[in-house]
Amino acid sequence: MAQEWESELLTRFQLATFLEAVRLYDEGVASAEDIDIAMRAGAGLPMGPFAWADKTGLDVVLGQLQELARAGNPNFAPPGSLADKVARGQVGNKSKRGYLSH
Amino acid sequence: MYIKKVAVVGAGTMGADICYTIAMAGIPVVLRDVSREQLDHARQHIQELFQGRVARNKMSVGDVEDRMSFITFSGDLHDLESVTLAIEAVTEKLAVKKAVFRELDLVLPPLSMIVSNTSALSISHLATVTSRPTRVAGMHFFYPAHMMKLVEVIAGHQTSTETVEAVVRLSEEIRKIPVKVKECPGFVVNRILMASMAEVLRFKEEHRLDAASIDQVVTQNKIAPMGPFMLADALGLDVALEVANTLHKALGDRFRPSSELEQLVAEGHLGMKTGQGFYSYR
Repeated sequence: MAQEWESELLTRFQLATFLEAVRLYDEGVASAEDIDIAMRAGAGLPMGPFAWADKTGLDVVLGQLQELARAGNPNFAPPGSLADKVARGQVGNKSKRGYLSH
Repeated sequence: MYIKKVAVVGAGTMGADICYTIAMAGIPVVLRDVSREQLDHARQHIQELFQGRVARNKMSVGDVEDRMSFITFSGDLHDLESVTLAIEAVTEKLAVKKAVFRELDLVLPPLSMIVSNTSALSISHLATVTSRPTRVAGMHFFYPAHMMKLVEVIAGHQTSTETVEAVVRLSEEIRKIPVKVKECPGFVVNRILMASMAEVLRFKEEHRLDAASIDQVVTQNKIAPMGPFMLADALGLDVALEVANTLHKALGDRFRPSSELEQLVAEGHLGMKTGQGFYSYR
């Protein structure tokens, strides 16, 4: 059984990675597909941040961000594009659309 | 634009690895440095890389001779006169890079391109010291450049579509994976890595955990190939701090360097290269 700090670490690590990826995407620096490719080919991540979020479910990711933001961590405030996608029902793999098409 | 011949300027490890990669693909390449000693060192490094492939039965000795023949190790500016694209890979200091860009602009044919391997400096700004800002771009390799597949292709404000496409094609020709990126501090990979690094450092301080425990959880759960603290030690903590400061200034508090990182650098503990960082290597 993993200790509580371990799952908190994994969540915060992956959410911080994902949030920065979303900012780059929202700023138009690169496409979601290209950001995923870059993080795999340039940083060796087994899964790109958008593929991870789409697989996890954007609704789930949004919930995790809201919880961390409510706990007093403003860095985790959910980005606009994420809330929009969830509101439109584009929650990732399970709805065939998220940041990527599936 | 068809790239007939490439120059790599700056024969440090990065420059030598890039030169090797280009020669492997059978493209003529001039490796330029002002230091004879640096060039000799690079030649030896490149020969070792080729010998490694021979030892793994990936190449024959004859193939190595063939590929080596594509490389001109040179301190002579005249050797750059027939180059279609020059990759600047000198030290990450703006004044030095600007001087190299000015020199390349004078020597290269007017239609040739100049790209920088910078991981942090502004491409648009470097372009201003040349007479050809539309033919200037970023071509950011990752260390070690002969192994890492990614190349970030960065367009500055004035970079033309043709230049971007030429750099993308060259990247593919040398068996890399190019990704087009608009200019911004840290580009894509370093910006994301530093954001997660800063978060993990905050986590470490809050929970008073040691670096090894955190790295172990990250690698055991296979969310990254290397723990963030091991990665920072390998990169150099001075480099990590400088990038963090740049991003903090440009993009805000989420990149604020932790006091622990600042303290380690102040004490001269810069990671693997000094034998002490988040880990001890003595």
